[in-house]
Amino acid sequence: MRAPEDRTRSFDLLRHVFKTLTDQRVTVELKNDLSITGTLKSVDQFLNIRLDNIKVLDEARHPHMMAVKNCFIRGSVVRYVQLPAEHVDTQLLEDATRREAATTGKR
Amino acid sequence: MSFFGFEQQQDLENEKRKFLEGGLSGAPQDDVAVFTWGEDSYDGLGDALQEGGDELNDETFGISGPVGKDFDFSGTALPEHEKPTPSQASHTQQAHQQAQQPSQASQNAQSSRENDPSHASHLDAVWSNKSPFSVLPRSNGSSRAHDQLGNSASKSSSLAPSVPQSTSMQKPASLSLGPDLHKGVHTLEEIEREMRAAAAAQHQQQLQQRQREEEEQLRLQQAQQQFEQLQLQQQLLHQQQSQSQLSNQALLQSPSRTHAPRQVPGPQHAAATPPPRMHPHSQSPRFHQQQQQHQIHLLQMQQQQQQRQLLELQEQRERQQRQQLLELQEQLRLEEMERQQQQHRMQQQQMHAGVNELMQSHLIHQRLNSGGLSPAFDNRARRVGRQSPLMTPPIPVDVPFAQNMQYLPQNIQMQQRLLAEMAQAEFLNTMQGASLPERETRESREMQEILRVEAMRKIMEAERMEEKRKRKLDKIAHMSRYNDLMTQSDKDFITRIQVSQLVTQDPYADDFYAQVYGAILRSRMGLPTSEDRVLKFGSGGGVGLGLGQKVPGRRQSAMQRMEAQVERIVNNARLREKEKSSLNNLQGALGRTAGRSYKAAPRQLLQVDSNNVSTSPTVSHASAAHISKSDAAKAQEEGEGAAREAAKIGREALRNASDSTGLVHRDPLTHREALVKLEQLYDLVLDLEQRRRDQPSPEEVEEFEQWYVYETQECSALIDQLFEQLMVSVPLEISTPHPFISLITPIKGKKLLPRVARLLDNDRMQILLTLLVACFSQLDVVLQAPLLDTLEETREVKDLESQTQAFLGSVVQSILPVIAKAQMRLVTGLFGLLLDRNDIVAIARTRPGIALLTLFLSRAEVILQNVANGSEVDETPTPDELQSWCVMLYNHLFELLRPHLPLLFPSVRLSMLSGVNFTNIPNSDAIDQPVWQFFASLACSANDAQQQVLVGGLRDVVLENVTTATKGLGLESEEQRRLRLANVNLFLHALGLDSSQIVV
Repeated sequence: MRAPEDRTRSFDLLRHVFKTLTDQRVTVELKNDLSITGTLKSVDQFLNIRLDNIKVLDEARHPHMMAVKNCFIRGSVVRYVQLPAEHVDTQLLEDATRREAATTGKR
Repeated sequence: MSFFGFEQQQDLENEKRKFLEGGLSGAPQDDVAVFTWGEDSYDGLGDALQEGGDELNDETFGISGPVGKDFDFSGTALPEHEKPTPSQASHTQQAHQQAQQPSQASQNAQSSRENDPSHASHLDAVWSNKSPFSVLPRSNGSSRAHDQLGNSASKSSSLAPSVPQSTSMQKPASLSLGPDLHKGVHTLEEIEREMRAAAAAQHQQQLQQRQREEEEQLRLQQAQQQFEQLQLQQQLLHQQQSQSQLSNQALLQSPSRTHAPRQVPGPQHAAATPPPRMHPHSQSPRFHQQQQQHQIHLLQMQQQQQQRQLLELQEQRERQQRQQLLELQEQLRLEEMERQQQQHRMQQQQMHAGVNELMQSHLIHQRLNSGGLSPAFDNRARRVGRQSPLMTPPIPVDVPFAQNMQYLPQNIQMQQRLLAEMAQAEFLNTMQGASLPERETRESREMQEILRVEAMRKIMEAERMEEKRKRKLDKIAHMSRYNDLMTQSDKDFITRIQVSQLVTQDPYADDFYAQVYGAILRSRMGLPTSEDRVLKFGSGGGVGLGLGQKVPGRRQSAMQRMEAQVERIVNNARLREKEKSSLNNLQGALGRTAGRSYKAAPRQLLQVDSNNVSTSPTVSHASAAHISKSDAAKAQEEGEGAAREAAKIGREALRNASDSTGLVHRDPLTHREALVKLEQLYDLVLDLEQRRRDQPSPEEVEEFEQWYVYETQECSALIDQLFEQLMVSVPLEISTPHPFISLITPIKGKKLLPRVARLLDNDRMQILLTLLVACFSQLDVVLQAPLLDTLEETREVKDLESQTQAFLGSVVQSILPVIAKAQMRLVTGLFGLLLDRNDIVAIARTRPGIALLTLFLSRAEVILQNVANGSEVDETPTPDELQSWCVMLYNHLFELLRPHLPLLFPSVRLSMLSGVNFTNIPNSDAIDQPVWQFFASLACSANDAQQQVLVGGLRDVVLENVTTATKGLGLESEEQRRLRLANVNLFLHALGLDSSQIVV
């Protein structure tokens, strides 16, 4: 049986990954089909994302976003986050997932 | 003095003091306040505006006539219940004295007022301006509201002809801030005395002055024409004097009118109209504190003002005395001047000095009296302003936020000082100009002009600066609008919530990715990797801090502060948790005690029961995922049953297969099985790695030893398990490919090998290496290597390419140290095994094969050279071994490869397939390089005849390469050319040749 806090726990790994990606350029795809590229500033346990120097993918379609320079994205509206591959250690990430699985399995 | 009703006043003061001290409690019957805001009469409103304790002031002091009952339509004086009891406070007694209990004192007061109406009005003015109650809100005098109601009709009617008038009269008094708010009991007396004295003195002085003026006029008329200048000067002086006199009078009569509006607007404004959102009840305690401070500040300001006023009075007197002296001097001097014209100038200078002094004192006074501008100077400034259209009058500033207002007096002060200085300069100039000859006058005028321009410039500059500062202040005020909305405890609370989400028992494990990634990053950047970026707390638990790659100064200190705070919060939380866990605090708690609600997350849609993860890889996990818990239990049983069934069938099938082909043979691992096994291996490896990491530092000897004894046992058991699961020691013939080879077929299997190699000892690694060599041709990268000989870029080729890269990067790297340490016996043994069990020509055509062969050849060469040099070798190879190496293995290899020498080059193979010349194959030099290295190592061990064969076999390739490299045919860059020559030279040098010897 899992405790209710497991939900945030399951975000933990992702949060830690994002933590290593701060100050990198990431692209956040939202569920409303808005794609925002920006410098990742912070991510919290709900995977709320703060971006700086943002740029929207299709600016012609979203003119209202042109003046926006930074934003805070609620974690629940994020569909995908495109990470810079060179800043992610895939093998380590695999290990981290294994550990995660091992610890949650024990619980 | 009793004639003037001072006893009465004493009474009044007592009353006031009592009122201030909360003497209202002495009127217990009256403390029910009745509000009549809803009624249509003005009486309630008017009375409400009146202050407690002095609502009968107007009756007592204000009007000269006796209180008539002409308009008391209610008939009798007061209702019965309004009668004051003996216990009532004196002020209530006083309030009703005139109506009910006419006493001696009140009679005195009345008579005094009747006799001296001007004085009374004067006093009234002072009272109305300085009444401390005039600024107090109505609520303070609530006890009076009731009887006011009762009396209001008669009172107001007796007070003034119409009610609205009376209220309008009272209003300004209550609105204007009395300057003598907290002076105490004696101020009234003092001030009154002073003022009376001042008035008398003034009167006297004016008389004297007029007399003297007349005298002077007469004398001056008699005086000769050359004294006209002096006369002018005199007049100026008089003007000045009279102006100041005027100002003094004005100040005396209405001190608050001249000063209060200038000095107090800021605080007053602040107190009157706080920003709409700053309602007192919605504020944090700190805000209230600020408010209180603000009020204290207000009071202080008022006190200061009061003191200033007193000073002013003193100064006025002093100045008057000085003026008298001055005038006397002047008179004397005038007489002298009539007799001695020569001394005239000198004396004039003397007088200048005197005037200067006067001016200075005036200026000082001006500065002291920072707020008010005396009319004289005001006029002057205005005149200057008129004279110079450039100068703009100070713009009234509309400051949106009250905090700003308190800076305003300073602004005004500064501007006034500037104005005053300018005025002084001008004044002196005119004085001098008047007394000097024409030429000098002109000069002084020019000077004056220059000075004025300068002053104006200064003023403009000051204004600009002021504007700038104001804008800055505005901005700051705007930004600080929400300051202190949250108290520190609020902030702490939120931090606690957030931090409690982050704190875990094992910060390193939970922050694994960030920690290790950070460590790798730091090691890559060459930084010390010693300490973990983990904030640990006393008894386990902590917060992972992540990378912290670039921490500038400010953030560093903020980080440290955060750490300290977090530690404190966590410790407190732990303490609280401990308290909670004890049963004591459950006492008296009915039902459930509230737990922490902020951790409650929404119900999960997909719930994977971790207990249900079956160990059998063949069973699908269909049963593991459920939509809801209720049917999860049911489905789980069904699923479990199905899984068991499937497992049984599978096992039976396996047993049948193995039975039919003998004991040792069975089906190779499927891809899925391999993956599952790999995951188990990974778990083991991770566990072992974690144990390594947990190793206490060797300094803590006891702990370390304890750990060592325990951990070595644990670890060796785990390593045994690991080795077993690698299936290295399973017989070679068990399946094709061998289970181990199946395990390193997936890319993550290849990547696991270096980590396993780190954990295994040398013996086990040798076993592993032996197995790898024996089953080398079974490897996917060897089997499928011919697929790589294509110029097409398909997905398979890409996959194979990455697999090959992973093999070279991981597997070869992990066996490299084993071969590098291997003795001759092992090398010959492995080499023999390789030749025996594999198609060496096929292997030599693959990159992994070339790499492995190069490894063996170079290791053998190193051993042979060591023997030849006589340098120490761990275990000198026996002649048998050397013999077997040279004769059996090397020669055998050479003979095998001899017909295919050029074909070992991938570029040659590619050119055969595509028909393009091998030198024109893209990237040929890079893919050929390992083969050149192999030939170089082959050439090292070769005898003369073999070298001849090598040169003969590779002649075309060498020549073609050298030609294209030197002529630069088909080579784009210098770098490519250099690489090609380097490749060829690698081989030629092994033979003792060089590419430069080849003449093209």
